[in-house]
Amino acid sequence: MSIGLCLALGLTSCKHKEGEYHSVVERIEAMSADYDSVTVSSTPFLGEIETLEVHVHGQRFLIPESKKQIKGFACTECHTGSLEDLPKRRKKKAHWDIKLEHADSHTMACTTCHNPDNMDQLTSLTGSQIDFDYSFRLCGQCHTQEYKDWSGGAHGKSLVGWAPPRASMTCVNCHNPHQPGFPTKWPVRFNSQVQKERE
Amino acid sequence: MAKEKQQKKWFSLDLGSNKQTSANSCGCGKNEGGCGSHKPETTSRPDGYRQYFGQKMDRRDAFRKLTASLMVGAGAVSTSCSFIAGDESKEKAQIDWEEQFKGNYKLMTEDEKKATVDRLVRSYQLRTGKTLKMSSQDALDNVLYGYAFNISKCQGYMDCVNACVEENNQDRKSEMQYIRIHEMQDGKGFNFNEADDNYYHEVPAQGHFYMGTQCFHCDNPPCVDVCPVEATWREKDGLVVVDYDWCVGCRYCMAACPYDGRRFNWSKPEVPETEVNKDQHYLGNRMRKKGVVEKCTFCVQRSRAGKDPACVEACPTGARIFGNLLDPNSTIRWVLENKKVFRLKEDLGTEPKFWYFMD
Repeated sequence: MSIGLCLALGLTSCKHKEGEYHSVVERIEAMSADYDSVTVSSTPFLGEIETLEVHVHGQRFLIPESKKQIKGFACTECHTGSLEDLPKRRKKKAHWDIKLEHADSHTMACTTCHNPDNMDQLTSLTGSQIDFDYSFRLCGQCHTQEYKDWSGGAHGKSLVGWAPPRASMTCVNCHNPHQPGFPTKWPVRFNSQVQKERE
Repeated sequence: MAKEKQQKKWFSLDLGSNKQTSANSCGCGKNEGGCGSHKPETTSRPDGYRQYFGQKMDRRDAFRKLTASLMVGAGAVSTSCSFIAGDESKEKAQIDWEEQFKGNYKLMTEDEKKATVDRLVRSYQLRTGKTLKMSSQDALDNVLYGYAFNISKCQGYMDCVNACVEENNQDRKSEMQYIRIHEMQDGKGFNFNEADDNYYHEVPAQGHFYMGTQCFHCDNPPCVDVCPVEATWREKDGLVVVDYDWCVGCRYCMAACPYDGRRFNWSKPEVPETEVNKDQHYLGNRMRKKGVVEKCTFCVQRSRAGKDPACVEACPTGARIFGNLLDPNSTIRWVLENKKVFRLKEDLGTEPKFWYFMD
């Protein structure tokens, strides 16, 4: 009886001519052992998007450059002196559209990320300079798990498609660094036919 | 039998009378198609009406084929012989005639695939005056598509559903949608009995999480096994596809699918002309007809070009990850190797290529 069962299982598990695999995971492992390359590329879809190669947690991939997307960069075109020299309380705000909702005020203020002495650069927690194009390094200081997941591709989105070379969006492509959370909203769809069927 | 096998462009239902043929290959019991593991025979067989004209056939065969083609034939002959009918209607009749007698897509040669795609494009042009782009691109080498869905990230916005409907020219009248987003209660696990897939309130709702289902492109697809006419099969790159022109609408596949991955066209699908996605694939988002089954194809028209499916691109939360399972450096492989992944109803042995994971 059990021999017969084994025989039946043995026969049905041979599903693919590519080899005798018990599961798709086994098949993936075997078939990717001699993986070479694919004929499609993500490069044509990048179009106008300028990218830079980054190297994070042993992963190499492309991200879109950010500096040119910032309106009014370079910041030193206005901020010629240090932030310390700016009057502390002013009625008219220059960056009126920026409201900081990122952690609480005990944890974060403008100069936690912005370098008060050189507004064209960001600053790490220990005071080293971070280029705006590499702002993910800033986020990665606190959001370590997200940073790791993003470097592998589990967090975030691909830029144009699955084909190599890998191009991923960077943190600020989805999150507003000053208000990184997402508000609740209404779903974009409601299926009236399903509703009708239920009634 | 041998003569028939040489000429055939379709599969016959094996009711057990041909047992001896199953000895040569794998355990699925068929020596072609079915389990998706067989390569179509490469011997060249005529397609279209050439299957009948200039072919030797016995009286019974001839009668059967004549009867089947009577409707189309009569129409085509009357149009093509008429002096009143214009060139366009003659061409239309010619296309209908050739489409009627084409073979199963799975058995077509490169040229035959291209020919049917050209006919469908021309036919659309003649009927609507609009030009569309249709591809018959085969699976890429070294590619096996896989998908990962992050349950912690999905917020239930349903942008994916809308993108899918628009990309894949799904019937607007019956509001068909391949993707379902299920609103599940925290602490109850995947409880589909108490989940809601048609909610309308601000999301994410307190105490709920969201998960999406669609066709999982199983590596061992039960839907493919039950199709009596082999109108659905697993491609080399793992996509489970349907030949809408070969489907007879029996809906066995829908009954066999444990994931509600398939949809049926109860009426003629309606898409406003301005909303038709004209970037099409024969096995993907080309216009369907009444009475055929359709489903998610991981947007074959996009994925085989190197792009992500429309749902992946539309997702604002990054909950959807798509890629090549055979590429050890792909993001999908990183997810499978570094996150705790699981699949829906894994114990059924359907081997979905669609994994769920959490942050």
